[in-house]
Amino acid sequence: MKIKAQIAMVMNLDKCIGCHTCSIPCKNVWTNREGAEYIWYNNVETKPGVGYPKKWENQSEWNGGWRIKFGRLSLRAGGKSNKMLNIFHNPDLPEIDDYYEPWTYNYGDLASSPRKRNQPALRPKSLLTGKNLQIKWGPNWEDDLAGVNVTGLEDVNFRSVKEHNAYLQFKKVFMFYLPRICEHCLNPSCVASCPSGALYKRDEDGIVLVDQEQCRGWRYCVSGCPYKKVYFNWRSGRSEKCIFCYPRIEAGLPTLCAETCVGRIRYIGVLLYDADRIFRAASTINEKLLYEAQTSLFLDPNDPDIAARAIENGIPESYLDAARRSPVYKLIVKWKLALPPHPEFRTLPMVWYIPPLSPLVDQADRSGELIDISDNMRIPLKYLANVLAAGEEAPVRLALRRLMALRRYMRSVRVELQPDASFLEEVGLDEATAKEMYALLAVAKYDERNVIPTVRRETVEDLHRRQGECGYPPASLG
Amino acid sequence: MKFDWNTLAFLIFPYLSFAVFTVGHAWRYLTDPFHWNAKSSEILEKDSLKYASPLFHYGIVLTFIGHFGGLLIPQTIYDAVGIDADEHTRIAIVLGMVFGVMSLSGVILLLWRRRAKDRVAAASTANDTVTLALLLFVILVGTYNVFFGHYHLLDTLAPWIRSIVSFSPNPELMAEVPFAYQLHILAAFLLFAFSPFSRLIHIWSLPIQYLPRSYLLFRRRNYKF
Repeated sequence: MKIKAQIAMVMNLDKCIGCHTCSIPCKNVWTNREGAEYIWYNNVETKPGVGYPKKWENQSEWNGGWRIKFGRLSLRAGGKSNKMLNIFHNPDLPEIDDYYEPWTYNYGDLASSPRKRNQPALRPKSLLTGKNLQIKWGPNWEDDLAGVNVTGLEDVNFRSVKEHNAYLQFKKVFMFYLPRICEHCLNPSCVASCPSGALYKRDEDGIVLVDQEQCRGWRYCVSGCPYKKVYFNWRSGRSEKCIFCYPRIEAGLPTLCAETCVGRIRYIGVLLYDADRIFRAASTINEKLLYEAQTSLFLDPNDPDIAARAIENGIPESYLDAARRSPVYKLIVKWKLALPPHPEFRTLPMVWYIPPLSPLVDQADRSGELIDISDNMRIPLKYLANVLAAGEEAPVRLALRRLMALRRYMRSVRVELQPDASFLEEVGLDEATAKEMYALLAVAKYDERNVIPTVRRETVEDLHRRQGECGYPPASLG
Repeated sequence: MKFDWNTLAFLIFPYLSFAVFTVGHAWRYLTDPFHWNAKSSEILEKDSLKYASPLFHYGIVLTFIGHFGGLLIPQTIYDAVGIDADEHTRIAIVLGMVFGVMSLSGVILLLWRRRAKDRVAAASTANDTVTLALLLFVILVGTYNVFFGHYHLLDTLAPWIRSIVSFSPNPELMAEVPFAYQLHILAAFLLFAFSPFSRLIHIWSLPIQYLPRSYLLFRRRNYKF
């Protein structure tokens, strides 16, 4: 067993209001540069829809992530020699139109326009060519289901959902928001795809980064990532991606997207996992079992044996302490409320989602028997299962039933004033757990949602000698 | 050794070019690590790059191997394995025609793409265009030579190249070589000298270390200053 620590995130989709407030500080701080105009480390999509870039989930089109070929885990886009032969033209690389052509306006025209009968209008100008542009697509083009009757037909999450088209009609339509950042996977296909070895996973917290001085612009990380969360900066000729705001994380602060989240849907914490079993877990043949395989990697920090092994493996005491208080560990491992997006990509993603509840369509079926509540929600269970569990309904069903049971229990406590734990027992919870769940999901404060250890610098660096420096390694000559 | 144009062109200029080439690359690598990359524009335009780039790159790599095998390996070695000078020249001309046309059509398409496609043109620098134009010139003259030159170079040009790279230069060997061949050589040395200051540096980043490497990479924070 080789224990490593990962800073992971859980987003509660039940509480996301789709305000895009997460995207804005991220954009302003990290991608507000020439060449990066089209890049959103964090974006919010409306589901159903094809997303940004278009159809990113459809790997028969983009060939991202891993698959099992001849019984072995291999990169879907092809192995190393295949990449070397195609290095002059990467057939799986998206074009900028798959994201959108970035644009701006000559705002000065409003002030400098001569007096006219009508107000002056602004025309969009391409940020690539400077020419006038007909806007055809944007980073949140499908916001609140705009155009879903067209794009929804190509949403792969409808796979084996009965009467797919009906859900794109007004009467049966459903929606939820899906905020997305880099998954900082345990088995990252971007890292595996990079011929230069520029992408790496940080040993101490699992954040995946692109070494900007080692990147040679071969672009395989962009096509290799099944979540399409590595981007190519057309000006610098290098790839860049979500850095999980590591300068903030090192200081014990949450990422900008989590810090600013209006609905407080984001939780950040430490997870301990067994790095020796990554390959075996990702190689699980049946993709429906990948969620369980990944969960089995996570270790219980309260187990004294695990704690002792973690210290042996060089995990600082502060990380262990954070792991014991980790909100993410509770949501993922203890309560099984959070699920990984598209585990079938086999990258073992580490930003998980609590599935959204939706209005009940019908309380009971015609025969009068009470049917499973999770089959009766406006968002088809199968659709959520395709997003969060490789099509396997059971884990999504459990999470939704637990969320519903918690609401019913809390209603019995606070409205009916007669606590009724029977709802909880049906889904394997007890009252103490329910109170804890309620506290974390509904009223948790900043430092309960974000339990982040500060980085231990003193063990690896001579801090005395680095007094007064700005924190960056010295530039190599000149 | 008296000074004349021949000495300048085929002794001083090649070594000057090598010097700039070597020092230039070292200087660029050490001082400008952030711009050491392939400068791909594939994200901006794929449709024509799909044909132009592999055509050019495979053409130029094969051309390079051809030059290396034909010029740097002495004819005596080919004689020993049973390929006489005429046979050698015939093979060189046929392969040169194929590789030359590949490279030439590739570089013409790339230059056209860089000027004609709005987005690529907007993202280009003058340096990119100069690099492509220089490449076009070298390839054009070289391809002209294989099609129309048919000069028997194994006793003059080839020994001269070997004399240069073995640091026992003999520029007199170049005196009788036709002008079109001389032009190809001079343009190529100009390109060598220019290459460290252009995007051509990406040639040195061919990622062969990828083949033996493990897929996943972890980095531990252990730097000390």
